[in-house]
Amino acid sequence: MDVKLVNPFINAFTAVLPQMGFPTPERTGMSVKEKTINSLGITVLVGFTKEIRGNVCYNMSEDTAKFIASTMMMGMPVETFDEMAQSAISEMSNMLTATAATNLTALGKEVDISTPSLSVGEDFQIKIAPGQFLVVTMDIGGHVVEINIAVE
Amino acid sequence: MMIKSMLAKTNFEVCAEAETAVQAIDLYAKFRPDVVTMDMNLPDTDGIECSRRIHAMDSRCKIMMVSAMKDAKLIMHGRLAGISAFLQKPINTNELIDTLMVLCQNNIEANIIYRESYVPTYAKILQDSLMEIAGISSDIEITANQEGSIIVEGIAVVIGVVGEPRGRVIFHMGKDTMKAFANAVLGRDRSYDADEDEAQATVEETSNIIAGHAISKINDIIKDREMRLTPPGLIFGSRIKFSSPELTTFCIKAKTEIGDIYMNAGFARSV
Repeated sequence: MDVKLVNPFINAFTAVLPQMGFPTPERTGMSVKEKTINSLGITVLVGFTKEIRGNVCYNMSEDTAKFIASTMMMGMPVETFDEMAQSAISEMSNMLTATAATNLTALGKEVDISTPSLSVGEDFQIKIAPGQFLVVTMDIGGHVVEINIAVE
Repeated sequence: MMIKSMLAKTNFEVCAEAETAVQAIDLYAKFRPDVVTMDMNLPDTDGIECSRRIHAMDSRCKIMMVSAMKDAKLIMHGRLAGISAFLQKPINTNELIDTLMVLCQNNIEANIIYRESYVPTYAKILQDSLMEIAGISSDIEITANQEGSIIVEGIAVVIGVVGEPRGRVIFHMGKDTMKAFANAVLGRDRSYDADEDEAQATVEETSNIIAGHAISKINDIIKDREMRLTPPGLIFGSRIKFSSPELTTFCIKAKTEIGDIYMNAGFARSV
């Protein structure tokens, strides 16, 4: 897949999160993977279609998800990954992907995005492409979020 | 204050009042009110940012902005932050009550549309397709998914829906059912020990076909709205919990001789 298509997703991440009061995210890795993604505990899948079709999967640990939810709710403590925290993570994935979609439009690739599907579990795997996909790891103040991107 | 005294004469009740955005978020979490009335000027941030945070915590929230200004820019930013209605000060009691009534009714009406037209169409396509593609007969059971979450033990195929309404469908079934289903689709003996990758791919492909048929059928019926699908994503393992706090969801269960096959349909409330 075209590596150029990854930048809109990375740029969305670095643009949106500081606006919500997060430290500036840093890209700490990028690689090409095949077959399956091992869930880190919480994964959110968002599909897109129109001029390009694919999926993006945000993968993180429960600790990271709780940190993100708490920051989004202006520092309200999040002790368990409850419905409220799940909603915050869904909404963040929605915002990130919507911003990535806007960035893709600027590259001449218009896309529409689906609603996010959030899954939680200790032992599960995800497949977002029959072949290869890209993995970008982002660090937000010591918390890691993996962005997996597949384009058909 | 003014809003509170206006509401005193109605059936609406004020369950909490906040002075700041931080308080508003905290109180929202505690009380989960049906509607929030929001001021533009808050001591710690503005009403749009505060709405964005509440919307992040609960995308079903109903926020009504009451402000001195009401221009196109404010409405655009407000809508993006999850605000459902805008009233300009000074407001009168009737205007306030009408808006509150509309906000409280929205959910119910959308639910009826989904239940009466979309979901039965999905269910019929699921039943017909199982017969056509796999030669499997089924009994269908439809339930509204009140708590919004589903537990998957085995395999789930997630297919996003874009257009109007946005949403997603999740097909899921247990591992044994998945293998038996793949054997049925591929015309093999039921006891054949199907390769897991191949069985997953078969379920994924079939789910994509069924979702495609269902969406086309609805696009044919409802002409002014077009829904399209995003590519399928596959999730498998044990005790996977899918949560969809922002969706209205329905569970369509096909009871078959090889086990239960589920199609969970979720629709976004708006936007």
